[in-house]
Amino acid sequence: MVQEPVVRIQGVSKKIGSKTLIDNLTLDIPPGQVYGFLGPNGSGKTTTIRMMVGLMSITQGDILIQGSSIKSDFERAVSHVGAIVENPEMYKFLTGYQNMVHYARMSPGITRERIMEAVERVGMQHRIHDKVKTYSLGMRQRLGVAQAILHRPKLLVLDEPTNGLDPQGIRELRDYLRILAKEEGTTVFVSSHLLSEMELMCDTVAVIQQGRLIDVKELNHGDAPADGQRETAFDVDHPAQALELIGAGRIEGSSLIVAVDRSAAAAINAKLVMAGISVYGIRVVTRSLEDQFLEMTGGGHIG
Amino acid sequence: MGDFLKLVQNENMKIYRRLRTWIMFAILVLLMMLFGVLFYMGSSSSPIGAWDAVDQLSFLYFLVSIFSVVVAADIVAAEFTWGTIKLLLVRPWTRTKILVSKLLAVLLFTLAMSAVYLLANMAVSFLLFPDIQSGVFPKGSGGPLGYIMEDLLYNYIDLLVITIFAFMVSTVFRTSGLAIGLSMFILFAGNIFTMLFHPTRYAWAKYMLFVNMDLGQYRGGQVGPAGMTLGFSAAVLTGYVLAFLLIAWFVFKKRDVAA
Ligand SMILES: Nc1ncnc2c1ncn2[C@@H]1O[C@H](COP(=O)(O)OP(=O)(O)OP(=O)(O)O)[C@@H](O)[C@H]1O
Ligand SMILES: [Mg+2]
Repeated sequence: MVQEPVVRIQGVSKKIGSKTLIDNLTLDIPPGQVYGFLGPNGSGKTTTIRMMVGLMSITQGDILIQGSSIKSDFERAVSHVGAIVENPEMYKFLTGYQNMVHYARMSPGITRERIMEAVERVGMQHRIHDKVKTYSLGMRQRLGVAQAILHRPKLLVLDEPTNGLDPQGIRELRDYLRILAKEEGTTVFVSSHLLSEMELMCDTVAVIQQGRLIDVKELNHGDAPADGQRETAFDVDHPAQALELIGAGRIEGSSLIVAVDRSAAAAINAKLVMAGISVYGIRVVTRSLEDQFLEMTGGGHIG
Repeated sequence: MGDFLKLVQNENMKIYRRLRTWIMFAILVLLMMLFGVLFYMGSSSSPIGAWDAVDQLSFLYFLVSIFSVVVAADIVAAEFTWGTIKLLLVRPWTRTKILVSKLLAVLLFTLAMSAVYLLANMAVSFLLFPDIQSGVFPKGSGGPLGYIMEDLLYNYIDLLVITIFAFMVSTVFRTSGLAIGLSMFILFAGNIFTMLFHPTRYAWAKYMLFVNMDLGQYRGGQVGPAGMTLGFSAAVLTGYVLAFLLIAWFVFKKRDVAA
């Protein structure tokens, strides 16, 4: 299925003075996906997003949104975009509702009903007529999402959207973003360094480091195959003895780690128990995106 | 066009939904009343007419200038300090249109403040003082109302120049404090500069903003220092205002927003 990308980042560079913040970044974002943008602190995620939404000028290259250039056809390009760049700041002396009215006036054809629909979407209907200065960070974040989806944008750009949300809020946002992508065909471009987060909600993840794209990974949301070898940790009272007995694997803390399939794991367990070794737990060691990410970016160097 | 007016409506909402704005209006009206009563008590021996009172109370117009400067100094800078500029600019409106809507809202505010000033002044004067023949105003030529309105027009032009200056500084430096400070400096230290660099002594001095701000000096066809005329000063002021607006527009359009 080949579909016209919603966003085409074409050879984009950003230089400030002699410093290159983004170096020749090229990326196509297909429609209807939750697309992750991953990178360590200072790698250029926010800078890229600012260029995508026209807050920053592009030194070289161009960004097309639904085929319109953000440089030369800003109004049309940005009309497809809803965004939260870093923290969603609202007018504190206005109520949540007045803030929504403010943004509603800036896009064509947004009714009162649509405002309330967006507000209910983020669960803010009970506090919407309070002044924003009485809101908690999480509530402001929710209102931020509401203003971003108000005009039903084709592309939703979120920079670290889970910042300040409680676990419940994070979960709701994650589910909601997936629903948006699936049911309304919205493309969601979300940056984060909460890698486990990305793993849970993204279809594809682009990894950026020091302003350069280093990898694009499609994530498989289906379960890993039940058979096949996986690293399995046996938490035991005498790991050294266990290693000697099994004759394979390695020791990490109080665990023996062996690459086995399911039936072999059961056999090893029986063997250990027979030998009088207490097995406190058995678990599959998953190599999370986080580990892969740290491997790719070579640890936590900033810059 | 109708849509553009919605931008102005937004800016108005952000001005008039703030308590600060209503405090400004309240201060203006209360001080007008206070000084009206003070003049009334002071004039018990030699009563003055209502039109004379209007003229005497007109010194309070400097409050309108100050409040206009405060609003203009804040309207762009505040969006940056609040961080709301990010959401404001990610909308299908060019930066030029956003800036123009803000400028229009400021101009509407200066008009509203001036109207309230005039109404309060007239109301206080005519409630407290008798409507008798004025001893101060020359007879004929438009009468006292004409004189008052002409005076107000000159003061309003003065206010516009300084307000647009504040608007520019606010846009360029994104801090309202600096914009207010510099504007107040021009407003109050202008006379000192005019004295130091008087156009009769320095040929270039007649192009300074300060010496041209008071258009009232040409009233009745008078000629200013070094042969300056109303037309000359009007042209110089227009030049300055256009320059301020161009600078503000250019900087606002080009700026990388990383608030
Ligand atoms: N105005 C600026 N002038 C110079 N350098 C800047 C400017 N803004 C950002 N940078 C630099 O650009 C790089 C990328 O910054 P950016 O904010 O895009 O990172 P990020 O990936 O969003 O990081 P984080 O995860 O911490 O949010 C950093 O090294 C930063 O120091
Ligand atoms: Mg960032």
